[in-house]
Amino acid sequence: MTKLVGLLLVLCSCKDIKDKTTIGISFETLQTEYWVASIDALKASCEEYDLVYLEAVANGDANRQFEQVNNFISRGVDGIVIAPKDAHTIIPIIKAANRAGIPIAIYNRLPAENPGEYVTVVADNYEISLNTVRHLGRLARKKGKKHKAMILIGDLGDMNAINRRNGFNDAVAEFSDIIEVVAEVPTEWNQEKALAGVTNALQANPDINFIFTCSDFLFPSIISALKNADKYHKIGHPDHVILGGFDGDAMAYRMLKEEYLDADGVQDVYFECESAVEALLDRINGKEVDELIVDPGFVIHQGNLEEKSASMWGSKY
Amino acid sequence: MNKTTQRILNNSTLVLFAIVLLTFSILSHHFFSFQNFFNILVQASSLAIIATGMTFVLLTAGIDLSVGSIMFLAGVISGKLVVAGFPLWMACTLVLVIGVLFGLINGAFIFKAKVIPFIVTLATFYVGRGLGLFISETRAVNLPESFLKIGSTKFFGVPAPIIVMTIVIIAGHLVLTKTIFGKHLYAVGHDEVKSRKAGIPVDGLLLKVYIICGFCAALGGLVAIAQLGAISPTFGLQSEFMAIAASVLGGTSLFGGRGSIFPGTLIGVLLIQSIQNGLVMVNADPYLYTVITGGVIFLIVLIDSIRHLQQKKLKRLGIN
Repeated sequence: MTKLVGLLLVLCSCKDIKDKTTIGISFETLQTEYWVASIDALKASCEEYDLVYLEAVANGDANRQFEQVNNFISRGVDGIVIAPKDAHTIIPIIKAANRAGIPIAIYNRLPAENPGEYVTVVADNYEISLNTVRHLGRLARKKGKKHKAMILIGDLGDMNAINRRNGFNDAVAEFSDIIEVVAEVPTEWNQEKALAGVTNALQANPDINFIFTCSDFLFPSIISALKNADKYHKIGHPDHVILGGFDGDAMAYRMLKEEYLDADGVQDVYFECESAVEALLDRINGKEVDELIVDPGFVIHQGNLEEKSASMWGSKY
Repeated sequence: MNKTTQRILNNSTLVLFAIVLLTFSILSHHFFSFQNFFNILVQASSLAIIATGMTFVLLTAGIDLSVGSIMFLAGVISGKLVVAGFPLWMACTLVLVIGVLFGLINGAFIFKAKVIPFIVTLATFYVGRGLGLFISETRAVNLPESFLKIGSTKFFGVPAPIIVMTIVIIAGHLVLTKTIFGKHLYAVGHDEVKSRKAGIPVDGLLLKVYIICGFCAALGGLVAIAQLGAISPTFGLQSEFMAIAASVLGGTSLFGGRGSIFPGTLIGVLLIQSIQNGLVMVNADPYLYTVITGGVIFLIVLIDSIRHLQQKKLKRLGIN
């Protein structure tokens, strides 16, 4: 009798799950804090809307991600949110979701041009970088002296990295009378390469006094190299190197608070995740949704730190 | 083929290394300086230590894909301990123990279960990185200042990473050239079956080789962490490929039985690091980095295969 009641309870709970809208969340990787914060925020948004979610991480393998999405489709999910490996490997995944009639939202990476139906939620990498570097440029101008700049570039196969570099270059061009870019260090998103690159650049140009990194997670490498060159000083120190970053992670938040970092371009993880889930629900319910939702992000700096820190995802980690 | 060409082919990596040094010295006056050569050596130290361990494995015709994961996992565990207040020496010792343990697991599976090295080390690659990510919760582990001090300490003006690298290179070189173990290692790499027949304890030797590789990976990781001051979730990623590339550039054969740590692997590491250093010095277009590095590796492999074919031909003719 007890077993029968138990079985009935299980059946009832299964029906409950089936009645709820189920979302498949697929991430290419969880290998940076940004992706962990993103998947956490997506799960929180799903819980807020009382959705059931399945999650899968492909560990950088595009084929595995394709298989994982096919598994979602087989299990009859109602919608898919995916952070893809890159702009091209997402296309067959979009096709598969479209064939199955399952709405799909692409998170944080813009797919290459294709005729599929999907919603993309992406940060405006170019504009956020542009505004961040513009702020740094204004600080350089205030100092009233010439600056030699270095940029740490990410993986050159990643459109986000390219757009951040373009934003930096265009902003620096506006300050060409006082800023000269003397080093472009490719890091392939690797801390050890970043450390070697920054050390070498400082060796070739000991007067570098303006550094921008395309991702905050490279800050430990920059700090280590600056310390070795005796150039890591707080804002206000005569030898302070103007520092800027992109992402909004915990390290950047701490550096801002400790007055080492001048400005950081922040991707609004919470806006992006909530928008992705909302857009997906609208699609599931047959509503019209914009194909592209852009996160304008924001620049956090010493002047607006208190006001903006609550929206900076790194302040919560 | 005349003798000069033959000599150049035999020392292709060294010749290319000289060309790289000369080219960058002409292009940037900052490159050819005492300070910069120290820089190159410091930056090469971690990779040189890892590549030394990898050379041992490659000489037996094996491979170890887990070195990057060992670096990461050992670093994360020790980093967490130091942050939690454990003494630095304990954390550093633990790093090396983890490296040895991973090597032991790799070696045991390879010679006990007879699983091929590629598969075993691929499995430990995933296990190591997965555990590291689990323990760190995919967050950067920021280490205290004391860790960074290890990396920047100097003895008689020589940075600690260079001293550690030198000790490892010399020890590795002596083991390979002056011990029975080293001679057995080359023999196993040449022909495992014949070595068994000759009474060489192949299984025990393989176990030791993977332990050495695990130890070097952990030590190399420690040297890198001491310079970085933080361990990000991508720490050590693809280090295995860089170590393999450095060993092969230095003349170590992927088929085993041929290669050296000094000068071979060391020159391979310095060649890679000098190219990376020189490209930053001349502020090269970022797109050129992979093209030039890949081009140099391709050139060395090409020269090596020409040399190999030449030697085979001479052997067939009974000249060598």
